[in-house]
Amino acid sequence: MEWLGLLNYAVFMAIFICIYALLAIGLNIQWGFTGLFNAGIAGFFAVGAYTSAILTSPPEAGRVGGFDMPVPVGWAGAMVLAALVAWPIGKVCLRFRSDYLAIATIGIAEIIRLVIKSEDWLTGSARGITGIPRPFGDLPYIHSQLAYLALVAGVLLVVYLLVERQIRSPWGRMMRAIRDNELAARAMGKDVPSRRLEAFVFGAALMGLGGALFAHLNRAITPEAIDPMVATFLVWIMLILGGSGNNRGAILGVAVVWVIWSFSEILTDRFPPEVAVKAKYIRVFLIGLMLQVVLRFRPEGILPEPQRGAAAKEKR
Amino acid sequence: MKKVHLAFAATLLGATAMAAPAHADVKIGLLAGVSGPIAPMAPPMIDAAQLAVQQVNEQGGILDGQKLVTVVGDSACNPQNATDAATKAVNIEGVIAIVGPYCSGAVLAAANSVTVPAGITMITPSGTSPEISRLDDKDLVYRTVPSDDFQGRALARTLLERGTDRVAVAYLNNDYGKGLAEAFKSEFEERGGEITAFAAHEDGKASYRSDLAELAAGGADTLVIFDYGDGAGLTMLRQALENGFFENFVGGDGMKSDAPIKALGAENLTTFTASSPVGETSQALELFNEVFKAAGGDPDAIFVTTSYDATFLAALAIEKAGGDKTKVAEALRSVSDGRGEVILPGEWRKAKELIAAGTDIDYEGAAGDHDFDERGDVPGAYALFKVEDGAFVVDAEMK
Repeated sequence: MEWLGLLNYAVFMAIFICIYALLAIGLNIQWGFTGLFNAGIAGFFAVGAYTSAILTSPPEAGRVGGFDMPVPVGWAGAMVLAALVAWPIGKVCLRFRSDYLAIATIGIAEIIRLVIKSEDWLTGSARGITGIPRPFGDLPYIHSQLAYLALVAGVLLVVYLLVERQIRSPWGRMMRAIRDNELAARAMGKDVPSRRLEAFVFGAALMGLGGALFAHLNRAITPEAIDPMVATFLVWIMLILGGSGNNRGAILGVAVVWVIWSFSEILTDRFPPEVAVKAKYIRVFLIGLMLQVVLRFRPEGILPEPQRGAAAKEKR
Repeated sequence: MKKVHLAFAATLLGATAMAAPAHADVKIGLLAGVSGPIAPMAPPMIDAAQLAVQQVNEQGGILDGQKLVTVVGDSACNPQNATDAATKAVNIEGVIAIVGPYCSGAVLAAANSVTVPAGITMITPSGTSPEISRLDDKDLVYRTVPSDDFQGRALARTLLERGTDRVAVAYLNNDYGKGLAEAFKSEFEERGGEITAFAAHEDGKASYRSDLAELAAGGADTLVIFDYGDGAGLTMLRQALENGFFENFVGGDGMKSDAPIKALGAENLTTFTASSPVGETSQALELFNEVFKAAGGDPDAIFVTTSYDATFLAALAIEKAGGDKTKVAEALRSVSDGRGEVILPGEWRKAKELIAAGTDIDYEGAAGDHDFDERGDVPGAYALFKVEDGAFVVDAEMK
């Protein structure tokens, strides 16, 4: 029985890591490869989660839908709508540089969150949307967990392979050129604004997909899930820690941060009860400390961006 | 990725092997919102739950004299952490029942993805969203706090009976405020009342004067506030009084807090009433208040009575079920169904003896009788409170 419990816990954690890895890879496309400081991950996560929820949940009086559609339609819809929402935002905001873009995206994510919290007819506001189908959800506990893990791991693998391919292609080279020296790239005749917009929309679509997978896991989505702390800044910490500009680094960062976060609670619970509750705050401290240490001693992250091309050969 | 998982699984196995307890305690999970938006409310709630556990252990322990222990998990009031904490409680700690999580969104997620599939009974002391009633929960999710639906409706009926038929409604934009306000609105309008303004507000603003001005524009002289008396509700009340926007003020249970009395003075609150759940058997509530105060707790803190009851009920159900987690839900219904010998808060030894003798028992808690309906909800009894001599006193019973 003991090992079954451990397996259940490990599987749950793996599901979570896969979902957050999608967010981290989405952010990696925007920040790691293109240099766009998007601090509004929660917004696109929310758009994806709610879109899929509305498309696939059973009809409900007093709100749009649900349309009771198959789950894959919901996931595709989540990506499409997140991309559609990102497009005008990118069109307007990508003219800002670094800090200003961060401020603008934080603001937009907050607008999306408040709309979701207030618009009853669309999102059920504070009550959220329930009754979202979970694929393989009717199987017994461990089977259903394993099946969902297989599903999200499959999605993550496909996304990872496609993104890797894209990054190695001429498109990926061009993105890095724009990130590292925009003027030079423009002088070479590259259409910088369009390329940046592409990266922004592409990354947002992956964040939307992550949101959809999360909503189906819990069969419910409420505004509490799109708190900037857990849906934006946590992802940033994961990416910076793992190594921005490297997709494997992004996934590793997600795993490291989530394992520390989740596992440390088991350790703090071994303390006497008087301090165990207070000790839970150590967990937040640990994540912050780890980020500080990594930024101080290894600012490029645990797995840094690989050197590519001629420069890499020369260095050897 | 694979390597990471393997390495992680190895660490996990190692650590748990080291930490495996040698003695067989009976564990219940307490998924508290230790960090996150309701962090200030959590410590008294945890203390109340621990009081129940302490009483069980002092009065002969659970089952064969075993020790009842709580495993406190941090649900942080969001689904991400709640599912994580619930997974650990169920799979690593091997809890038999769960008290919590504290926030509705966290309850929905943890029930759907962890406790219901795992067949663990869950009792939330503070998840008030009407959505919880609609969970497909295989009869495993309960709550000791009434759904916002009940209180909102009861308050609407009471106000109409007292002749107030035109009001403005302001509510905090979260599941608590919204749930109450919606239920109030539908019942109030259905019975012929008129709502002149109905508006949500966000927490933590310095000024609500513009919100109040808009609410007052409809011409009603009564403002119904669904908010917390130590948060935005207090600011709103103060500014409405200062500027004379309204004459009468009515609040939900969140507003029945000592904060407005301390901050505004009882003499300014003569037109303020608040509805709140009351224990039907007030003897049970007094008993709890006395013991909790002696233990250093504040019995007036919000949700302490429901927390205590949820924990005590979980312990009774485990005792009745003989420690079999698949029978806890059934046992929970049987120890609180209104039939059998009455058990009051803290009467663990008596309950244990009666259960051992096969006698039916009926727990009557500090927060109410807890006769669960078919959806695991408690109807709750409410009263309208007014401020008198610096404290809340019952003004009228509510139906």
